[in-house]
Amino acid sequence: MAADWQNNRPGGEEDDDDEEIDDTSYKAIKDAILFAIDVSSSMLERPAPSDDKRAERDSPVSAALECAYQLMQQRIISNPKDMMGILLFGTEQSDLKDSDNTFQNCYLLSDLDIPCARDVKQLRDLLENEDEAAKILKPSKERVAISTVLFCANQIFTTKAPNFSSRRLFLVTDNDYPVNVKQDKDTAITRARDLYDLGCTIDLFPISHQDHLFDRTKFYDDLVYPTSPSDPDAPIAVPSTTKIAKSGDGISLLKQLLSSINSRAAPRRALFSLPFEIGPDLRIGVKGFILIKRQEHVKSCNVWVGGEKPQIVTASTTHMADDTARVVEKGELRKAYKFGGDSITFSPEEFVQIRQCFGEPIIRIIGFKPLSSLPIWANVGKASFIYPSEADFVGSTRVFSALQQKLLKSRKMALSWFIARKNAAPVLAAIIPGEERVDESGEQTMPPGLWIVPLPFADDIRQCPEHKHEPTSTPELTDKMRVIMEQLQLPKGVYEPNKYPNPDLQWFYKILQAMALEEEIPEKVDDKTVPKYRQIEKRAAPYIIEYGEQFELDLAKVNHSSTSILPSRGKTGAKRPKTDGDDDEPKPKKRIKKEGGDGHNDDDVITDEQMAKMCSSGTVQKQSVAVLKSYLKAKGLSTAGKKADLVDRVQDQFLDD
Amino acid sequence: MSVVGFRTDDTDLQGTMEDEEGYENITVFSGLQQWLLPDVRKLQNRLRTSSTSEGDLMSALVVAIQQIDTATTGKTGNPLKFKRRIVVVTDGRGAMDIGDLEHIQNKIKDSSAPIQLTLLGVDFDDSENGYKEEDKDDHKRKNEETLKEFVEDCDGVFGSLAEAVEQLQIPRIKEVKPTPSYRGTLSLGDARTYDATISIDVERYPCTMIAKPPSASSFVTRTDLAGTQSSATVTGEDDPMNGELSAVRNQRVYQVENPDEPGQKMNVEADELERGYEYGRTAVHISESDANVVNIETSPGLELLGFLDATKFDRYLPMSRSNYIVPQKSNVQAKLALSSFIHALWEADCYAVARLVTKENKPPLIVLLVPRIEPEIEVLVEVELPFEEDMRRYKFPPLDKKLTVSGKTITEHKDLPSDELMQSMSDYVDAMDLSTFDRDDDGEPAEYAKMEDAYSPLLHRVNQMIRWRATHADPSLPLPDPSPILTKYANPPAELIQRTKDQLAALKKAADVKKVPPKAKGRGKRSRAEREKPLSGLDVDELLGNQKRIKIDSTNLIPSFKQTLAATDELEAIQEAADAMGTEIRNLIRNSVADSAYNRALEAMRVMRDEITELEEPEIWNVFVTDLKKELLGKELGGDRREMWWKIRGNKYGLVDRKRCFASAVSEEQAAEFYRGA
Repeated sequence: MAADWQNNRPGGEEDDDDEEIDDTSYKAIKDAILFAIDVSSSMLERPAPSDDKRAERDSPVSAALECAYQLMQQRIISNPKDMMGILLFGTEQSDLKDSDNTFQNCYLLSDLDIPCARDVKQLRDLLENEDEAAKILKPSKERVAISTVLFCANQIFTTKAPNFSSRRLFLVTDNDYPVNVKQDKDTAITRARDLYDLGCTIDLFPISHQDHLFDRTKFYDDLVYPTSPSDPDAPIAVPSTTKIAKSGDGISLLKQLLSSINSRAAPRRALFSLPFEIGPDLRIGVKGFILIKRQEHVKSCNVWVGGEKPQIVTASTTHMADDTARVVEKGELRKAYKFGGDSITFSPEEFVQIRQCFGEPIIRIIGFKPLSSLPIWANVGKASFIYPSEADFVGSTRVFSALQQKLLKSRKMALSWFIARKNAAPVLAAIIPGEERVDESGEQTMPPGLWIVPLPFADDIRQCPEHKHEPTSTPELTDKMRVIMEQLQLPKGVYEPNKYPNPDLQWFYKILQAMALEEEIPEKVDDKTVPKYRQIEKRAAPYIIEYGEQFELDLAKVNHSSTSILPSRGKTGAKRPKTDGDDDEPKPKKRIKKEGGDGHNDDDVITDEQMAKMCSSGTVQKQSVAVLKSYLKAKGLSTAGKKADLVDRVQDQFLDD
Repeated sequence: MSVVGFRTDDTDLQGTMEDEEGYENITVFSGLQQWLLPDVRKLQNRLRTSSTSEGDLMSALVVAIQQIDTATTGKTGNPLKFKRRIVVVTDGRGAMDIGDLEHIQNKIKDSSAPIQLTLLGVDFDDSENGYKEEDKDDHKRKNEETLKEFVEDCDGVFGSLAEAVEQLQIPRIKEVKPTPSYRGTLSLGDARTYDATISIDVERYPCTMIAKPPSASSFVTRTDLAGTQSSATVTGEDDPMNGELSAVRNQRVYQVENPDEPGQKMNVEADELERGYEYGRTAVHISESDANVVNIETSPGLELLGFLDATKFDRYLPMSRSNYIVPQKSNVQAKLALSSFIHALWEADCYAVARLVTKENKPPLIVLLVPRIEPEIEVLVEVELPFEEDMRRYKFPPLDKKLTVSGKTITEHKDLPSDELMQSMSDYVDAMDLSTFDRDDDGEPAEYAKMEDAYSPLLHRVNQMIRWRATHADPSLPLPDPSPILTKYANPPAELIQRTKDQLAALKKAADVKKVPPKAKGRGKRSRAEREKPLSGLDVDELLGNQKRIKIDSTNLIPSFKQTLAATDELEAIQEAADAMGTEIRNLIRNSVADSAYNRALEAMRVMRDEITELEEPEIWNVFVTDLKKELLGKELGGDRREMWWKIRGNKYGLVDRKRCFASAVSEEQAAEFYRGA
């Protein structure tokens, strides 16, 4: 059962060796974020009470903390290996969680680390409990020097996240000139330089007040550097037009901060950096990124329960020779294929030669086709995004841009031969243009570039299982269905992923968080993917009834003309209330599974009912392995193991019911 | 499968026929059996060119028929369910007794156990391929005619061996029996609450599914078979692969942080472990009985959410392989209803979005439903769409304009294409069109590189190599190159390149792409990239003043090291900074409680190695790291520091070799050798 429990995820059945290599190298880019929040009296000031519902209620500090709180929860889901910390500065208390008191008026609310349940809880308590908050969020009399804060951050990054390739200081302040004399400014500039040399970025989140606009040029432009110093492969940042969050106007400060932070989603390293051959002898440089990827929740792990509190177990694997139980080094391992009852071996060099005989990694265009030759069914996985890079070829950007614009204009795609990495299997891929999209406020929602859509090979295309076409729709019936569809268009006729959070993922973390914080477990799932039944009823009910009437007419015609006698199907009312007589509702459905024997299908897979009977009568053991397997497969269960395992698994099905 | 040879030197019927008379010079190499690799090898050895021309094809055919008949007839005398095939390979030169043809024909066409006969002729005339053997003797011509007629009478296939060999080059596609991954309803509206709902019984089958190359398993060369023993175990020349390898078992060791001694690990037993999840760095233990608490409760269904405009759909959104949604078998109502749904989508140019739960308590998916109507196909295709969490919102600058820091928009820039570039790109793209480049069987323009024509290169490459090695056991033979059909689409078709030469030349000229030259070589001038400036453009180095010697500061190690190097280009000063850095790295290791400071030391090493390499003084680093290795392994840095050495090795922070820096005296082999030991 344990195996089932673990594998109860979508896509679990298809794991691709290549894909896995991808993801590990991709995830290895670890990100550490340290929030530094200025605790001054102006930062603690709440906006004047207002009748306007949308008016601001939070002080900048609590908005920043709320923001950190939300980010922390979000990152536990999306980046479980990444660190986060919160440093308050300008506080009366000083506490850096070590006995060191070098840094006066700096208070490390949560240390830079992978967040734990306690961090989340502490932060929430602070937000909910005003008395508690008042104790910590108390401005010092003397202002803390910004250079001290920067050096403090330097120390925290050095000791806590020494080898993180992405380290960012999120500085939240409303003070655009936090020094008194030039010398202090110079010290601050030096400390900022130190951070830069250390490989840390300062991300400024300036806050303006109604009567005071934050001016970056006064001070901070000397401290903040344009690009990430440590990761040349990070996506190029959009020229920093950081919006200045304004306290006390309409949109909540929290929302502005969150959107500002989200727009700086951790820069992930490029998935690949490759030559892009537009034609023979015409190459430019591109980098590839994964912009769409199924976010899975963490895999279950082993927990040691022998101690006081549960601990995560790290497991390591050693290889042993089966015959001598001798421990084997990785280098000694040989790979062999089973073929015709024999093992076929190749030397490691030959393995390389087999896999890498198709040439160096490249994206090579072999010609162009209209976009219409890329049907939706021709899809085997997610698309990757590519964007030009001048690192290897000067002029890449303009050529890329010309290609992207041409493809957009002529609605064309490029067909390409694509080898993503040295060991990757070559694929044919369609390269399609992606247009830049921006929302009402001018924020980019889709970046401009090209997308690589891997295509199926002949080997990957399955035949459509044979089903007779007849009967096909009549024009009248099609029209009635069209009317229904017109009534139920999604807003603007497009699919917006951000309207559909993954209910499974949300639920999983909700439960896990509740368990981690030892809270009550919520009962109701908030599932945004459930259709809006009421709206469907409101908008389309009359048309569905019309369709149903037409359907009955057409069906009668079909039945009349066809010689086959349909098995009589009562309009199954199992779940349907009343009104059986009037045909407001086509019911081409048949809930009650037929008992075996009428042979309309299911000659390969046994029905639930048959299987249930066999289980109760004990004849299930008499079924052949093939029958059991096909049954399990149809149920989406594992077909691994011996016959006894299969029988167990089948029987489990009915115990669960 | 079995193999029967005729015109062999000997006669050996292995008891297939009661009487050898009339069956001379026919050898039954094997009875009908499953063929394994050793059998293939054995056969290879036994197939020798004979010195006789005696032996009758027809007799051999009778032997084959007899073999099949015996093996595929059940105990009760009923023919068993088998596909029966006989393939005859001949050059048609032997003598044949054609007296009994009709009898043989009847047997082959026997409706209760028909045999499919294929005859492959060597150097037979082939009008389709335009092959005609010159100077063909009359005897052969006559045989060819007889055989052709005979095969046709048997409803068999008559072809040339050349053709068959050619066919072998075309990869075979393995057919997979479709199995449904969902059986249920496609529904609109909630039938539990409302009357006006639609539900259609459907099934879901794979439409695309990546066919993967076979996977190799791990083995290890047996050590107990060294020397004299091996001759006893290895069964001779024809079986060099087996016996030398032993399977590999994986053993897992479980460790946790020792609660009593921070920083130390301790081993724990597998039976003390239970399931759990990580929430951040907190371990959440979930007992077996609670296992399902984290799983969302769902009931199976394919429920429509709404419809969207096909023309506005972003083709890059689908993130999975595709599936067919077809009506339930023999369900007329479902067929009619689904057909109306498909046609309506098609006519309205719409796609549907639906929520799919394939099995009870499986997580829901959002899927796109797309109509596919082709002459032979009328079906609904389904692919998965991303959820909110699946979209990574990275931002990239626009490609058709430039924004300045001050917010202005520039339309002319070196990164933006000129009109000339735009025009030549447009001409090139149009000229390189593949949609009509190919020719179909009737010579009409057709699409080039259709998906159905392209075979998975790696899949077939691996399969071909396994088969090749199976029959070419000599490990010294070089592997052959991939067959051309696998690399057909690796490059644009040559004819098209030829045709578009002018457009490409114009494009290249307008593009004016230059490869970034490899770093200029030449020692002495340490031309370092200019230091990055803050947004304001302030020269921070100048602000720092011309401090010739900045002290390496242990509390600000990396920045002070970088700044020291930036302030000087004297070798002596570099050496001094490196020495100071080296001392600090050793201190970090020496004072580290268990591995607590290893990562800091590693980061310092990385920076030092990169910077020193950049300065083209690899010797300084190489001396340092050689010493450090010795001290680590010699337990000179506060005890057993082997783990630190493993980390250095794992991160590849060893010697800087010639490949990495031209100024290095260390060869690549030496650098690799450095990682060995301890």
